[in-house]
Amino acid sequence: MTKNSNRDIIVVKNLTKRYGSFTAVKGISFSVKEGELFGFLGPNGAGKSTSINMMCTVLSVTEGTAILNGHDITRDKARVREAIGIIFQDPSLDENLTALENLKLHCVMYKVDKSVRMQRIMEVLEMTELIDRKDSLVKTFSGGMKRRLEIARGLLHYPKILFLDEPTIGLDPQTRSHIWKYIMDIKERENITVFLTTHYMDEAEYCDRVAIMDHGELVVLDTPANLKNAVGGDVIRLRTEDDEMAVAEIGKRYGLAVTRDRDGISFSVASGEEFMAPFIKELPVKILSIGMSRPTLNDVFLKFTGRALRDEELSSTDQLRETMKRSRAGLRPFGRS
Amino acid sequence: MEQILYIWYRDVVKFVRDRTRLASSFVMPFMFLILFGNGMGGAIKSLMASGRVPAGLAGFDFVKFMFPGIIGMTVFNTAIFSALSIVQDREFGFMKEIMVSPVPRVHIVLGKTLGGATVALLQGLLMFLFVPFIGIKLNPGIVLRVIPAIFLVAFTISSIGILVASRLKTAQGFQMIIQLLVFPMLFLSGAYFPLNGMPGWMNIIVKLNPLTYAVDLFKKIILEYDKMPEVLRQAMGLNLQVGGHLVTAANEAGFIALFGAVMIVLAMWSFSTVEQ
Ligand SMILES: Nc1ncnc2c1ncn2[C@@H]1O[C@H](COP(=O)(O)OP(=O)(O)O)[C@@H](O)[C@H]1O
Ligand SMILES: [Mg+2]
Repeated sequence: MTKNSNRDIIVVKNLTKRYGSFTAVKGISFSVKEGELFGFLGPNGAGKSTSINMMCTVLSVTEGTAILNGHDITRDKARVREAIGIIFQDPSLDENLTALENLKLHCVMYKVDKSVRMQRIMEVLEMTELIDRKDSLVKTFSGGMKRRLEIARGLLHYPKILFLDEPTIGLDPQTRSHIWKYIMDIKERENITVFLTTHYMDEAEYCDRVAIMDHGELVVLDTPANLKNAVGGDVIRLRTEDDEMAVAEIGKRYGLAVTRDRDGISFSVASGEEFMAPFIKELPVKILSIGMSRPTLNDVFLKFTGRALRDEELSSTDQLRETMKRSRAGLRPFGRS
Repeated sequence: MEQILYIWYRDVVKFVRDRTRLASSFVMPFMFLILFGNGMGGAIKSLMASGRVPAGLAGFDFVKFMFPGIIGMTVFNTAIFSALSIVQDREFGFMKEIMVSPVPRVHIVLGKTLGGATVALLQGLLMFLFVPFIGIKLNPGIVLRVIPAIFLVAFTISSIGILVASRLKTAQGFQMIIQLLVFPMLFLSGAYFPLNGMPGWMNIIVKLNPLTYAVDLFKKIILEYDKMPEVLRQAMGLNLQVGGHLVTAANEAGFIALFGAVMIVLAMWSFSTVEQ
């Protein structure tokens, strides 16, 4: 963070996207500093990709605009395109070409100088550990390798701003942590501004600042630490024999706002340790389980939207488990030994 | 410039790598030339044997007549279907990589058209492998003229394909529209039968069909129109007239080039203005 200059490299003003009568992005405004690692956190359908695609000039803007590296996305598309690199949410490689050919094509499209081309290609291939597969057709690659190749490709022209739309979605934990290592590496080395979207809370934690997005709006924007402080103190979670009554009792006795979801009920208090012992004795409802934790970004999301991120979809750990199950199943079809 | 070249290169490399497509591209021409051509040729011969035939017409060989038409068919199909790759790139997401790059959209269209034209030229030239089996004699003069002629036609047809592809989101939709174009254009181009004695309405459509001039140009070059006896020219329907004017090979090349120029400008405009 020491490298951050004070220049706003991205300034978004009232950016809006409408599809017919449905508004996918509702006039968002914010700015990002040069060298920052900035994140959009939000559930599926929040409008993250739509916002990013408008900023990258591949989707038309309904209203408002954004200035990237000094260039307006609605008027100066070519200059914006030169300044950015993007890893789209959905795959965008040519699978019938080799890894090397995909990278060369990118260099040509971005007019990377011939004298440095091969050197840069080798550099990114080495970084993403794909060097010994450079002459294989991309269609023979695993999902993780393809993602790594896309990241390698996005870096070839040394963009000022790198957009990553759900960079690790659907990947196994090992590949995810690898990819995060590359992202942090480049950010440190090249002082590239990184703008990512994710619906994984743990990934948002890496960001210098996070904007929480929901239903096309920015709900709140701050550093992960400040956001968690805003939740206030520690989070107590419990399951009881009668959650409904417990909610009412806690409200009555302690004047606390309680949230209920699939996993039980939760609320936050200034100091969990001191609160817990008398609370367990006093509550007239039988407690089945109780736990305390520092607030997570999920609690932040809960506080600002009234819903848990995980209410709408699998949590990141659930999803990882799913992916692992699937890839394990893929490895050994029908119990062949 | 290098950007256009690499987009072109990508299509050519893929063509060379795709052996199955290469092998299957011989099936249709084989059916037309060897099966249909010989069958039709035999029937014509027996018809002529029963009546009095003018001198010189004995040289009418239907398979030879069809060969330039088959070149036309192959070039047409390959060139127009090459634009399918644009729709597929869109479906598989690769188009986004191109569209988010600073490459001028005009370069993308040019590279794609040149790629499609080159592939169609190569495919068309491969059809010359049939030459030894159908008794056509090639000479350097023919080869030197036929290559640029095929390329010109391929370029023009390729731009039509790209114009269509520029606005379509699915490969299915593209194939449907192209099929609707392909059959009438091929059947009414003189590729399969001499353009003689057609009903008036059909004559009009034939003369409006740009492919007519492409096929006729190939016939004039490959069958050596200059050295043909007049009665054979007549029988093969090579004395094409528009508004009483006898159309020359140069006229045809000029018209195809002009038509191609209009098509590629339209394709560039369409591709640049549509949201990808
Ligand atoms: N082409 C489109 N037409 C209509 N609605 C769309 C289109 N693309 C996206 N949407 C809608 O816009 C909303 C935001 O989508 P998206 O930006 O992809 O969300 P996220 O990336 O946050 O998951 C969703 O409700 C989605 O259904
Ligand atoms: Mg998305």
